[in-house]
Amino acid sequence: MSQADLSIPFRRRAGRAMEDAFLQEALTIATTKFIGLRREAFDAFPEGERLRDVAREIKEATLQHLDRYLEQLIGNVERFGGRVHFATTPAEARAVILEIGRRAGARMAVKSKSMATEEIHLNEALEAAGIVPVETDLGEYIIQLAHERPSHIIAPAIHKTKGQIADLFGKELKRTVPADPEALTKLARGELREKFLQADLGITGANFAVADTGTVVLVTNEGNGRMVTSLPRVHVAVMGVEKVVPSMTDLMVFLAILAKSATGQKLSVYTTLVQGPRRAGELEGPEEFHLVLLDNGRVDQLAGPLREALDCLRCGACLNVCPVYRQIGGHAYGHTYPGPIGILLTAMLNGPGSVKELAHASSLCGACVDACPVRIDIPRMLIELRREVDEKRIAPWIERVVFTSVGWLLARPLLYGLAGRIARVLQRPFVRDGAIRSLPLFGDWTRTRDLPAVASRTFRERWSELERETPR
Amino acid sequence: MTTRAEFMARIRAELGKTRGLPPATPARRPERPRVEAEAIRAELAERWPEALERFRHELEKVGGVFYRVATLAEVVPVVAGIARERAARRLVSWHAAELGGDLGPALTAHGLEPVAMPPGEVASAAERQRLRELVAAAELGLTGADLAIAETGTLVLSSGAGRPRSTSLLPPYHIALFDRTALVESLAQAGVFLELWHADGEPGNRGAVISFITGPSRTADIELTLTRGVHGPKEVHAIFVEAPIRG
Repeated sequence: MSQADLSIPFRRRAGRAMEDAFLQEALTIATTKFIGLRREAFDAFPEGERLRDVAREIKEATLQHLDRYLEQLIGNVERFGGRVHFATTPAEARAVILEIGRRAGARMAVKSKSMATEEIHLNEALEAAGIVPVETDLGEYIIQLAHERPSHIIAPAIHKTKGQIADLFGKELKRTVPADPEALTKLARGELREKFLQADLGITGANFAVADTGTVVLVTNEGNGRMVTSLPRVHVAVMGVEKVVPSMTDLMVFLAILAKSATGQKLSVYTTLVQGPRRAGELEGPEEFHLVLLDNGRVDQLAGPLREALDCLRCGACLNVCPVYRQIGGHAYGHTYPGPIGILLTAMLNGPGSVKELAHASSLCGACVDACPVRIDIPRMLIELRREVDEKRIAPWIERVVFTSVGWLLARPLLYGLAGRIARVLQRPFVRDGAIRSLPLFGDWTRTRDLPAVASRTFRERWSELERETPR
Repeated sequence: MTTRAEFMARIRAELGKTRGLPPATPARRPERPRVEAEAIRAELAERWPEALERFRHELEKVGGVFYRVATLAEVVPVVAGIARERAARRLVSWHAAELGGDLGPALTAHGLEPVAMPPGEVASAAERQRLRELVAAAELGLTGADLAIAETGTLVLSSGAGRPRSTSLLPPYHIALFDRTALVESLAQAGVFLELWHADGEPGNRGAVISFITGPSRTADIELTLTRGVHGPKEVHAIFVEAPIRG
């Protein structure tokens, strides 16, 4: 399955993923491994819990004065010879980048992994404009060869076997290649090394940008971030406005928890701090540096219901612990950002109407909040989204009728008691061993789980009995 | 196209709608980074052996190799040994002034082919291209390090004249020299030095890039199998020199 077809209902997409035996195994192995590594990293880092709170407060402080920090960032980037561009929509961001590429006469663009450029569907636009985009993160390179989209924020190709990858490389290089991770990695290194040295344009995202110094920060393990920012003649960094942090001191707090949350590493292999174009005396580095500040629904949430999702560091920790993600993987979500945080980000980018099904793709168990380095309360916002989706009448009618009736009933104690007694009688044909195993109209619910039967004596009845029996 | 004024005006308008947010402040920055940096150095004048041991431990955990030598001259046989075991000869290095001394003749005497990078601006684009190809073809890259962070086993390298970014990136074997003055215990302490380097708001002699390097380049993108050297070096060797090598 390549990019999920949104014309297929979410339930069918999820169902297909659950029937894919390889995907199921890959997901279990990958997510379990990431969970273990993350736990070990924080167990060995006693100050981690406090730093998570500090990081959250920095995010909040930054968002509250986002205008001030962005102005500072812009001023500093320009002072060091960079140019800043402003994009309200994905179309604008694409147009800005294409214009930079056109002016540079670029034929090829090397990219280091960036969710922001995925979000604006940049690669298709580059191709259409005659600039060949080359993803250089190994996982991204694999899925680009397969014409797919990432299935995990930090491990984009976890759904692929080495055999599938060997086939993809073989097709690209027009020869047979061994299905061995080490050999495949070496092949990719050789192929991509040539492209780094040839490309005119380097495109990156930004994990952070430091307002005080005008520095864009990239975190990678492979070193492609360093290549892309050093070798091509022009460097373009694309970042959501929420990625700015006030100072280098703040940056250190985030670095201390980001990799631990993502891969369980104390620090990713490369953290690259880029302050504008090449300076006098430097042998390499781009002649031009461009920073594209992206809104795409973010600014609306500064005072909106999804504001907290602007704190997200894109570490992927909430994906690994999510019981739904662990079953269906990233593609079934059908959008750029998968997993629990992905539902919120999709709603932010495309409006709540785009997640009418996805808003329910969560058990609200709260594992994501515990795993999130900045403790984003994802379930709270999912419930909000469900309510909004419901108010706009996009939920299924049966759900609306049931929840409206139950809500009405819960507010009227006498009728609620009466309804309980009626239900006790009506349920009789359906109850076996104290549970309702199937119920007409609710087949979807009872197919996978039982509904507890209404008790022969309700809590309220027992309570009033106890009150009579217990002398005051 | 959205202008800066329009873009910022929208952000201000939305910020104006927020109500009842709890007060929040960023992390406390060092008020006088120079004083705090000196305090860290003073503390480490006593504690450095523990910090160095931690650095070694963490570097080895991420797949790096640690060495300890008494003087800069003793670096040469270590580098020659690394080269010999890998049947490598071509070495590119930072300029002698950035490295703390000229190791070229001694390395040549050990059978290596060292090329030091020029100390300043290379005006000719053709010459820059030639040097870049030289670095890309080299097997060994020899650099200094501005910081060595014990907590994470990280080397911090600032780019600049005589210290090209590519020397620690393109060759498959990266060798970095550092001394006691580069050693810090934690990311938080490294943060003080970053604040110090940026304190006057001017670029000074620095290049545009500061690289944190924590072990060799790695990926686990194919079936979560750990593989080294995907784009950057597949080996990182850190040599601690007991005698100070920087001013």
